Amino acid sequence: MKQKQTHHVVITYSFLIFVSLSFIGPMIFTVFSSFKNNNEIFSTPFSIPKIFRVENFIEAWNAANMGTYFFNSIVISVSTVIILIFTASMVSFILSRFNFKFNKYLSVFFLLGMMIPMQSVLVPISYFVGVLNLKNNLVALVLVYVAFSLPFSILVLTGFMKGINNSLIEAAIIDGASFWQVYLKLVLPLSMPAIATVSIFNFLGAWNNVVFPLLFINDNKLKPITLGLLNFNGERGSEYGLLMAAITITVLIPLIIYMLFQEKIEGGLTAGAIKE
Amino acid sequence: MIKIHKKSDKMLILGFVLPALLIYVAFQIIPLMGALVFSVSKWNGLAVSPVKFVGLDNFKILMNDKNFLISLKNMIKMVVFSVAFHTPIALLLAVAINSKCRGHKLFKAIFFVPTIFPLTAVGLMWYFIFMPNGALNLFLKSVNLHQHVVPWLINESTAMNAIISVNIWVGVGFYMVILLAGLATIPDELYEAAQIDGANSIKQFFLITIPMLKPIIGICIVMDIIGSIKVFDLIFAMTEGGPNGLTNLPTTLLYYESFRYDNFGKGSAIGVLLLLLALSLVFLSNFLTGEKRRNK
Repeated sequence: MKQKQTHHVVITYSFLIFVSLSFIGPMIFTVFSSFKNNNEIFSTPFSIPKIFRVENFIEAWNAANMGTYFFNSIVISVSTVIILIFTASMVSFILSRFNFKFNKYLSVFFLLGMMIPMQSVLVPISYFVGVLNLKNNLVALVLVYVAFSLPFSILVLTGFMKGINNSLIEAAIIDGASFWQVYLKLVLPLSMPAIATVSIFNFLGAWNNVVFPLLFINDNKLKPITLGLLNFNGERGSEYGLLMAAITITVLIPLIIYMLFQEKIEGGLTAGAIKE
Repeated sequence: MIKIHKKSDKMLILGFVLPALLIYVAFQIIPLMGALVFSVSKWNGLAVSPVKFVGLDNFKILMNDKNFLISLKNMIKMVVFSVAFHTPIALLLAVAINSKCRGHKLFKAIFFVPTIFPLTAVGLMWYFIFMPNGALNLFLKSVNLHQHVVPWLINESTAMNAIISVNIWVGVGFYMVILLAGLATIPDELYEAAQIDGANSIKQFFLITIPMLKPIIGICIVMDIIGSIKVFDLIFAMTEGGPNGLTNLPTTLLYYESFRYDNFGKGSAIGVLLLLLALSLVFLSNFLTGEKRRNK
């Protein structure tokens, strides 16, 4: 029996280590290369950099505009999350608490959006944004992200808010609190766990998206980091060390968010998957 | 649930719903209608030229368009390979990690992290691995496998497979996390009882784990099919649909037709087909999982 146990452990570890090499390998290669110059990348591709050329990062950040792109992405993602959380939680508060004629229809109407593939509406969205003269305007980009994030966020927030104890809210209303007060002082603070999940998810969604910026933004000063990275590759793609540094800068924020909110991300993911 | 009677309350409710409703309608519902209109029109994207109604012509053109048929073939290939690899690998990883071996949290993080990276960054990372003098070929040369050195993304027979393997790589962690959540719901007593009855781990895996996870495996497969159809960023970063348009999916072809060649009608028609495909898959999966629920 003991023999068999060790047998198992060996198989499990060999499997995990083998697969994780194929996962870490490409990532480590990218990070190592980000400290090298072209010569070193091709002559000693897999070794730890002898000299850590931090200047790759400095040049990517300054000369190649990655800093600008990075801050644009921060502005875009943060604004998306703020607008999304207010609009989505207000609707969810109503849908989860109040009984009125169109409640059901409204819920279904919002859920419909989850089935629309982003690509299906690229042409008309680009057309409308053009007609509204909102190309090269971050407001349009943020509003599109909010629109596409609303269905899932409303689903999660409504589900969570339904679980909030009704007597709390009724007591507040009897005490003369307005809807607005109930929403701001009671429902919103009580929904913090769900709001956190929705915020993290949609922050990452906005950070990672490239297709809408591709359509809306061609001003270099306004580009988010994903588009900036493609841009960089087009312009200076042969300076591999620099490009690897740019890739590393791009994945940094998602990586930090994962390290900080690991459980929230995984929990939200499974909630989303199982609910669908 | 609180009932609403007063008119002033109705106005308040409207006020709470309106911001979200306006953004949603303006940037999702109206564009959706727009996609339907554009798909039966011919238009080159210029404000001065008229949008001409052409009925189902765009769809007829697509059915005879070699590039579109290639993209469909690629899409099917992408779906089949993703489904064939994602869930099985993710399931094995989930079971291994679920055994709570030393370092299981670190392993989980390693497999999961790529799924939250921007796909443009992941695509470029792999672009440099697949380059003619990139890491993969340098590695093959260093272990004396010179005969396998290929310009992966330029070679017509390997380009699509390379993209598909990156899609598999980047998605495994996502399905692993979902399956891990499923594994957590299986009661330990089942395994203990099986152990007493003398069932070894392989038997336990096939007789307990897989049957108990069936509904979640089903969800993974449906999400995988829908996800594989939507792949866009990877191709955009790795090949831009090349060589010779052989790595296009309907999603990327839609983009190029619309925004590089200004065939907005044709592009929208692809969009409508994608929408129909996504809708029918969602309804099919709801029907299948609904059926299961009723059987319980």
